[in-house]
Amino acid sequence: MRWKLVVGCFLAVLGTAWGVAQTGRFAGVTITVFTQPPPYIAKPVMMFAPDWERITGAKVRLITAPWGELYPKMYSSFALGQGLFDIVIMPAAWLPDFAEAGFLVPLDDLIAKDPAIEWNDIIPVYRERIVSWGGKVYAVPMDGDSHIFYYRKDALENPEYQARFKAKYGYDLPVPPRTWKQVRDIAEFFHGWDWDGDGVMNYGVVEPRRYAGQADWCFFSRAVGYVALPGQPGGLFFDPVTMKPRINSPGHIKALEDYVEIMKFGVPGMINMDSGEVRSVFASGVAAMAIDWGDIGVISEVGKESKVKGKVGYAVLPGSMEVWNFAQNQWVTLKEPNQAGYLAFGGWVAAIDRNSKNIAAAYDFISYLSRPANSYISVTTSETGFNPYRKSHFETLAGWIGFGFGRDAAAAYLKAINDTIGHPNVQPDLRIPGAAKYFEALDAQLALVVAGQKTPKAALDEVARIWEQITEEYGRAAQLKAYRLSLGLPSP
Amino acid sequence: MIGKTAQRQGRLFLAPTVILLLCFTIFPLLFTIALMFGEARFVGGGLRIEFVGGRNWVRLFGDERFWNALGVTVRIVAMAVSLEYLLGLGLALLLDRKLRGQAVFRVLFIVPMLLTPIAVGYMWRMIFDVGRGPITGILERLGLAPVGWLTESSVAIYSIVITDIWQWTPFMFLILYAALQAIPKDYIEAARVDGASGWQVFRRITLPLLAPASIAAVLLRTIECFKIVDTIYIMTGGGPGRSTESMTLFGYAIGFRAFDLDYGATISFSLFLAVLVSSMVFVTLTRRLREVRME
Repeated sequence: MRWKLVVGCFLAVLGTAWGVAQTGRFAGVTITVFTQPPPYIAKPVMMFAPDWERITGAKVRLITAPWGELYPKMYSSFALGQGLFDIVIMPAAWLPDFAEAGFLVPLDDLIAKDPAIEWNDIIPVYRERIVSWGGKVYAVPMDGDSHIFYYRKDALENPEYQARFKAKYGYDLPVPPRTWKQVRDIAEFFHGWDWDGDGVMNYGVVEPRRYAGQADWCFFSRAVGYVALPGQPGGLFFDPVTMKPRINSPGHIKALEDYVEIMKFGVPGMINMDSGEVRSVFASGVAAMAIDWGDIGVISEVGKESKVKGKVGYAVLPGSMEVWNFAQNQWVTLKEPNQAGYLAFGGWVAAIDRNSKNIAAAYDFISYLSRPANSYISVTTSETGFNPYRKSHFETLAGWIGFGFGRDAAAAYLKAINDTIGHPNVQPDLRIPGAAKYFEALDAQLALVVAGQKTPKAALDEVARIWEQITEEYGRAAQLKAYRLSLGLPSP
Repeated sequence: MIGKTAQRQGRLFLAPTVILLLCFTIFPLLFTIALMFGEARFVGGGLRIEFVGGRNWVRLFGDERFWNALGVTVRIVAMAVSLEYLLGLGLALLLDRKLRGQAVFRVLFIVPMLLTPIAVGYMWRMIFDVGRGPITGILERLGLAPVGWLTESSVAIYSIVITDIWQWTPFMFLILYAALQAIPKDYIEAARVDGASGWQVFRRITLPLLAPASIAAVLLRTIECFKIVDTIYIMTGGGPGRSTESMTLFGYAIGFRAFDLDYGATISFSLFLAVLVSSMVFVTLTRRLREVRME
């Protein structure tokens, strides 16, 4: 009994001493975090800053700017050495621009000395590819982004509809669909009638098609199945040997033709919808299928206005049996559909300005945000904008159920995301300097195609021409090196 | 003679204004001009602007998207401002008479102008929504096919113009109504005594006396309308295709989506030139017109 008391007292003293030491660790330090305005992305900073401040004695100052001003403000602060922000929480696609210019603090040593971050719990594609550049880690993932496929189970799994579908198309209605061809047929079948019997007209699909409405990522989600042949890296954007654009390949053109054709079976006004509107439209129950990040899942299962709670099925993106083989310059037919996932956008990551005077405190706060327990709260809280990116986020359903998901829905939702990001052929987003310019050029041409003002081929040829100009502008050799780095290939 | 002390004091008092002007107007303008003739790159820890001569201007004049944006902007300005003027004048003339509930109408007419363009954009986007909007509902009840107000390339620009007219006609009304109120009634009464008809009074007396206010109102609206961006951004994002992409939206896309700062600056400056030229042409034409009438 006595020894228990002695051990207990010892532990209490030790705990108190540790607590006191912790309290003063960063006393008097103020770190500045820069990201977009709350709620999305900034909310977790606001949620966890008070606890971290209490533990460390430091202060967190949150500065925000609208989306359009984030990049220029970050870049100018970095480039002019102003050190305005200790931490920036930014899209992963910007990391190459900043890391290549030497603006960010390499975090490898800090991570190695920090067991609390549980680095290996982060899914490999995020910790190895998304946040690293040139063999060094420059950021910590805060969010796992990938496109997944959504469908209405009550429509696609309805035996009567399945029978009618088979009678019309000559094959069983696949649940979930595994090719874009099947998606097209299903969309046509469920378009323009009230298949859920609620008195409101239903439609085949809803996807963003609006210029600057994140439609370009939807295009790549379609293209990935047609051009990302396993074992051939770089299919989605450039030839990893010459840096010549692959955007106007027959695979991309086919994807763009699909992208336009499916609009015939879309919710009215889809041409003017961005991702945000697509989410609320799907949750309102009028569409049978959709493509989105994890957000439709959250809004559908948790949203107060949702009419589709418990009715949504989740799957990896469909693909194609025919894939463009860049090596042979011809289509090849596979035995199984090529359903390579696409890490659209790549998620939000937290990095530290190399001019920061509080690197240790800044890293500690990032680590605190990303720790398994805290990040689990972030990904299972509404309006954080963060999706799961750690193995542990997928292992415990309790948080998701507490969030408002049904048990089955949570399991299916997490499985679809996990299968996507864990897919051996998963394709990262474009991560080279000038990525925003390349995407803007594509987005502008996609807008013309969906408005019927250009053919898919003409538009993608134009994109290829502009991409060549941008590559020349940045320097072909430098871009090639960066592109190969982003794909995990050795320097040319 | 002003003493040296007084001169120094005068300079001291002027200094804050001059400093503010330099910081917020002159330096940004000079920076924009530097960007226009340079290539801006963030390299090696700093912003580097390399002089490239007129390369950005050559690119601009050869850019099909620029000419489209200019055309769209000019069409919106021409349609919106002229209709706003006519409607504003009509409303002002209507309320210039003795009407019951005049005060209520006056307040009601200026309400749209008090709303933010973003809110107006969302409101009209909902009204024009082809799937769920009230106009579609009304058309369907009348047995008519729905119209893609914001989703058809040939129609979307008119939806933008309607929205602009709805919001900014009150501005024209307010200025013209104030000017009408200021016209001495003696002139009109004298004309009536001389046997002038209502149309003659309007054409020979009211309209010429309204000219200074009309010129100011049209000029101000023209300048503002050239910069139209918020309502378009919300309602169509410049689409379908590029059918509603204004100059400002084009500049925003290049500067802040593609982060092409030098070309974005060139687009912004070209908008400034377009506004300047249009305003000068308008002022010169109206002055000539008045001179001809005087003769």
